[in-house]
Amino acid sequence: MTRRQRNSGLIAMAVAFVIFILPFAFTFLMAVKTKKEAALMLFSWPTEWHFWDNFTEVIQARNYMLLLAYFNSTVITVAAVSGLIVMGAMVGYVLQRRPSGWNKVIYAGVLMGLIVPPAVVPTIWVLQGLGLFKSLTGMVLIQIAYGLAFSVLLYRSFIATIPRDLDEAAIIDGAKPWAIFFKVILPLLKPVTVTLITVQSIAIFNDFTNPLYYLPGKENVTVQLTLFNFQSQFQSQFNLLFMNILLVTIPPLIVFVFFNRQIVAGMTAGAVKG
Amino acid sequence: MSVSQSSVVLKNLTKSFGAVDVIKGVDLEIAPGEFCVFVGPSGCGKSTLLRLISGLEEATSGTIEIAGRDVTHAEPSERGIAMVFQSYALYPHLTVRENIGFGLSLAKRPKAEIAARVEAAAAVLQLGPYLDRKPKALSGGQRQRVAIGRAMVRDPNVFLLDEPLSNLDAALRAQMRIELTDLHKKLGATMIYVTHDQVEAMTMADKIVVLNAGQIEQVGSPMELYNAPVSPFVAGFIGSPKMNLVPNVMGCATYGIRPEHLDLSTSAGQWQGTIRHVERLGAEVILYLQTEAMGELVLRLPGQSAPPPGSIAYATPQPGRAFQF
Repeated sequence: MTRRQRNSGLIAMAVAFVIFILPFAFTFLMAVKTKKEAALMLFSWPTEWHFWDNFTEVIQARNYMLLLAYFNSTVITVAAVSGLIVMGAMVGYVLQRRPSGWNKVIYAGVLMGLIVPPAVVPTIWVLQGLGLFKSLTGMVLIQIAYGLAFSVLLYRSFIATIPRDLDEAAIIDGAKPWAIFFKVILPLLKPVTVTLITVQSIAIFNDFTNPLYYLPGKENVTVQLTLFNFQSQFQSQFNLLFMNILLVTIPPLIVFVFFNRQIVAGMTAGAVKG
Repeated sequence: MSVSQSSVVLKNLTKSFGAVDVIKGVDLEIAPGEFCVFVGPSGCGKSTLLRLISGLEEATSGTIEIAGRDVTHAEPSERGIAMVFQSYALYPHLTVRENIGFGLSLAKRPKAEIAARVEAAAAVLQLGPYLDRKPKALSGGQRQRVAIGRAMVRDPNVFLLDEPLSNLDAALRAQMRIELTDLHKKLGATMIYVTHDQVEAMTMADKIVVLNAGQIEQVGSPMELYNAPVSPFVAGFIGSPKMNLVPNVMGCATYGIRPEHLDLSTSAGQWQGTIRHVERLGAEVILYLQTEAMGELVLRLPGQSAPPPGSIAYATPQPGRAFQF
């Protein structure tokens, strides 16, 4: 290792530390302070440690709202990601494998889904018309709709790398389209599927604005919305707010730590023939 | 295996992709147990013809009979055929055992029967030690055998093989040629084999079908095609190096003489020319002679000695060996 390589490595690590570690350290330190000390907003070592007090207070706040929020967010995330995977893979498969005049239209529609920003008020209007406003089902469908374009594109380009011979071999073996998809194609999509699970579940779990618009109501609270519990116009409890942030950040972090290897593998999968 | 009734009959078969006619009316009968090779240059429609028989493509018109049954509109899995793909098309996420048994498990056969039939096929193909491996842990030749095994357990009337050896290196290809011929004898099933390699066609076939531009040019045994080609196309396609074909000489449209049927002399002969290039292969010499009357002629001479390039030499056709089309 030359001196230059070592120096640039050290600089890169310092930058990464400032960007990724410092905010997390700040959050953690704030979360264990007392209310008074936290209100100073200093990056300092806490004089008194109140980890457990703050923790129980956040959990118990407003009749255990955080636990309900965890439940709601998990339901939305699991349902929406499952829907995204199955539908994205199916649409991608049909788009890639069955050329027809409609493909261009459908493909344009998929691209529109990626390009055109969703409009909030008309969406609420549609949800109300369908009787899905303020319901978890409605929220799941919204998340699927917002994420579908991306998953379709990702799956479509990956399916293009799976030789058509495999489909034909399965046809000769007596597989119907349904069996070809579920027994041959879907298992081969695992790298992309893992990527999508990670990326989308973190995004949906952490989503703040969409639940804010489409899922009002105390019983529908999601994790990011519990942050409102501890801040108001005249008084904010920053120690509890940061404890809440800490608790909300942990599940996606765990998902990411476990899957980050596969994410990279999925991003580059199909780039080189194996 | 119902060998006695297995045969393929194609009647006036055509296939068009949009405005492009790929198969332009093919009539063909393949006898039970026959090893039939479709051969032709790329784009001649040989793979399409195989895919029509397999049912992966639907015929535009005409009929296909397999084992006495009209299967023109039947599903591929109901035609009594099995196919080996050029890429082998093994399912990468399944083990060799699951690959071979995939069709049987789709058909919901009992587990014991699947196991027995997979074992039997593996025994014939010497795949026993590899049954629990994934395809990516196999060599090219082993993958090839798995693909054949997957075809065998279907117990088909007709095996369809689409350039199955083209992904193998030369040494392995020669070995697999012999193995396939042995397997054909052992199974006694009808096989249809597509290749662009005339050596494979000559060495393996009972019957060769030469295709050109979507039509059958000639059907016959390898030696019939070699000894009595009906057209310059067949003459040029069968045999290596290819036959010398010279247009508009000796009072015919095309005059043909094989390189091995030309004699060389340095003193006298029918056509005088300059030696342009000499290729010594050890057992034989391929010699390129630039002549005044016939253009460039290729000669195939036994042994290792040949006059040096640049010298004058004479080529003479052996009597009765020339073709006039």
